[in-house]
Amino acid sequence: MSWALLSLASPLLAALLALMIRHGADRIVLGATLISLIAAVLALASINGEQPVSLNLGGWEQPLAIRLELGHLSALLMILTGTLHLLVGLYNRVSDHGTSSRSDYWPLSALMHAVLLALWLSRDLFNWFVTLELLSLAAVAMVTLSGPKAYAAALHYLMLSLMASLFYLLGIALLYGQEGVLDINQLAQQLTDTPITRLSLLLMTLGLMMKAALWPLYLWLPDAHANAPTAVSALLSSLVVKGPVFILWMILWHLAPAPFAEQLGLVLALFGGVALLAGAWSAMTTPYLKTLVAYSTVAQLGYVLIALGLSLRWQALELATALWLFIIAHALAKVSAFLAAGEMQGTYGRKELTVVKGATLTMPVAMFAFAIAGGSLIGLPPSGGFLAKWILLQPMFTSPAHWPWAFTILAGTLASAAYVFRVVSLSFDQPDITPGSLTQNLPAQWLSLLPALLVWGLALLSHPLLLWLSRGAVV
Amino acid sequence: MTADGFFDALLAMLIVSLACGALYSRSLYRAVVFFIALGLSLALVWARLSAPDLALAEAAIGAGLTGVLLLSALKHQAAEPLRPMRPSFQLLMAVLTGVTFLLVLTTVWSMPAGMAQVGQLALNSVNDSGVEHPITAVLLNFRAWDTLLELLVVVLALLGVRQLKLPNDRLPVAWPLLLAWSKLLAPLSLLLGVYLLWRGADAPGGAFQAGALIGSGLLMLKLVGLAPTTPWSHWGIRLLVLLGSFTFLLVAMATDVFGAGWLTYPPGWNKALILLIEVAATASIALSLAMLAGSDHRELNQ
Amino acid sequence: MTDVQLFVGLGLLLWLLGLHAVMTHRHTIHRLIAINVSGSGVFLVMVSLASRGEGVDPVMQALVVTGLVVAVCATAFALRLGSARQQSHDEAESPS
Repeated sequence: MSWALLSLASPLLAALLALMIRHGADRIVLGATLISLIAAVLALASINGEQPVSLNLGGWEQPLAIRLELGHLSALLMILTGTLHLLVGLYNRVSDHGTSSRSDYWPLSALMHAVLLALWLSRDLFNWFVTLELLSLAAVAMVTLSGPKAYAAALHYLMLSLMASLFYLLGIALLYGQEGVLDINQLAQQLTDTPITRLSLLLMTLGLMMKAALWPLYLWLPDAHANAPTAVSALLSSLVVKGPVFILWMILWHLAPAPFAEQLGLVLALFGGVALLAGAWSAMTTPYLKTLVAYSTVAQLGYVLIALGLSLRWQALELATALWLFIIAHALAKVSAFLAAGEMQGTYGRKELTVVKGATLTMPVAMFAFAIAGGSLIGLPPSGGFLAKWILLQPMFTSPAHWPWAFTILAGTLASAAYVFRVVSLSFDQPDITPGSLTQNLPAQWLSLLPALLVWGLALLSHPLLLWLSRGAVV
Repeated sequence: MTADGFFDALLAMLIVSLACGALYSRSLYRAVVFFIALGLSLALVWARLSAPDLALAEAAIGAGLTGVLLLSALKHQAAEPLRPMRPSFQLLMAVLTGVTFLLVLTTVWSMPAGMAQVGQLALNSVNDSGVEHPITAVLLNFRAWDTLLELLVVVLALLGVRQLKLPNDRLPVAWPLLLAWSKLLAPLSLLLGVYLLWRGADAPGGAFQAGALIGSGLLMLKLVGLAPTTPWSHWGIRLLVLLGSFTFLLVAMATDVFGAGWLTYPPGWNKALILLIEVAATASIALSLAMLAGSDHRELNQ
Repeated sequence: MTDVQLFVGLGLLLWLLGLHAVMTHRHTIHRLIAINVSGSGVFLVMVSLASRGEGVDPVMQALVVTGLVVAVCATAFALRLGSARQQSHDEAESPS
């Protein structure tokens, strides 16, 4: 547990120091991110056996204290957060299209990092509320970094997120009013199936779905993610929307009474199916490059919803493994896709999709990064996206009654292939410009390639990864 | 009907009508005034429900800070026209809202009575917490981690405002109502805030309420032009804004490294540590809230 | 009907009225007022539930104090963001 706390404390301290000292904020934050990442790896290594480690904060006994819990899932998510923050941070420092040095990008991203770690570790309903608020405020503040053109999207995002918080808070209030505890394990032990239980779970689900931009409550996402600075878009799509998904999965898996979970699971899975197709359709029709990547997040969250919904409906733990694998694979692939798209948009100087025309000749590294990230989004073997989809499909082959779900996933796969190939095929056209007329930044392009390579490398790690995720999913 | 019940019903009706005024007034100015009045009457409800801490916080925040904020925001937005939605949409929404209200109300009606388990535990453990007031004990000891994160919320909101390209004109000094209001309330809220902090350990009050009160006092002084400027570029101002978070985080790390665990105060030290954190947090909250609401572009960005 | 039930009901009503107003208004300030009314409703439910027993539940009240501070910070940020957006909007309309 001490490694986990070190991992949490170092970006937090770095954020405060960077605000205080102001000179060399980038070095302070990047150093702290590296420390945090190493500590997160050591935290994963420190978990002996299968049992997660609990810590009651303040030394008070259980229902009174806020509890932190370090399990395999939390540790993996901490490593993921650290890795992506490090990569995106390096990109933002290296790239010519990073945020201005006068802005508070560095302390804000360090705060976001710390808040995400706090969220993965917490097991307390109200503590999650505070982390959610912090996450939203950090995200909105970072969207505004790209200047006045993003203000409308940022304001929309902030107001929706405030409404969502109220849903979640009212849900907590009713559940606490009935049960008198806030810790998720305590609640799981004593919760009974009453109308109040169902109502409060429903309220929390609605709030969290709005925050995570799950279909049909996703309307704020494309504008906010497409208008943010590139580094911020990458963090928002890969990590920030996953925070509420984590809480949603925790409360529904642990607290929802079985009959209610089955009904709600079906609805969520159906929403997921629609999200796959609707998100892909918008991605296929939008004229802008970054908006296409943002809509792809809406579509990919459809898989997450299907995995979440069906794991609840069939009470199938292996689908929870698929859920987390999806989240990890999507996070890595999406960072690559956004960084590559942003780098191309910045270098060519326009935000239309048509800028990638001929990009295989003029910006081969960035275009290659985008293409292989897209491969994982589609689910080509042996990428991480393929692995997740394979596990998701397993229980569907067992009974003919489940085939419609398999069919939906196939349709989603084809749809995602369509929008990825829309970009890739354009990039093979004859370029309108000569490569020499561009000021290329190769390190930034290589950095955008790195997470995509990682997601394809997941296949090599698949054995321990699946073991950890299946353990992490239980507790 | 008892006298209490009569008073409650009257209060409830007053609140519903004020809320409708705030939500459905055609004029934004009137909506804001109704909203401030709503905040003040909610303070009465908190007092009625034996929550004096909240009554203080609501009065300071709802009527003071948010009121001033809304009034000053009006100045900038007067030009934006009010475009009502289509009547059919409004009707649909009204029906939906009504149905939801009935459903939710009948569900919640079956809420069991009695004290919550954790609430009872908190009351029983107050004597070991280092402070006598149970709410302060919860905020700064039992659930101190929430409060640490909460201080970051304040910092983050201020950072968020700092990134904006704000309108260049000064705050609306010329607003007569605001001016009269501020001159009257500023010294009062400053005094009351310091008093609240001082007695927060064993009676209603504490860092947040005190911080909110002092913050709104500062904000009003800023509005009437009596407060000194607080530029972010000055290291002292940044230190003061971050003091609460720094202190809290350092205490948490120190208790983890040298003591029994993250935020576990060593026996005998709890009172002193809580007091230290409270003073630092009050200063940070007060200054951050005042800057969050009242600092202009020059103060924040240069 | 006890006073707790009365105020819980009142809280739920405020929450929903606020929600309704958020969806039927377009103006930023109107919407923010509505969100705050809605929030007050949730806090009212919480405080009423806190005063059900013999004493008062300090945990629930502490949660409300925390919630209030979050609400005021977010509202302040949203209002400043709203006026910044308004200004950039105005500048775009009248290039001088």
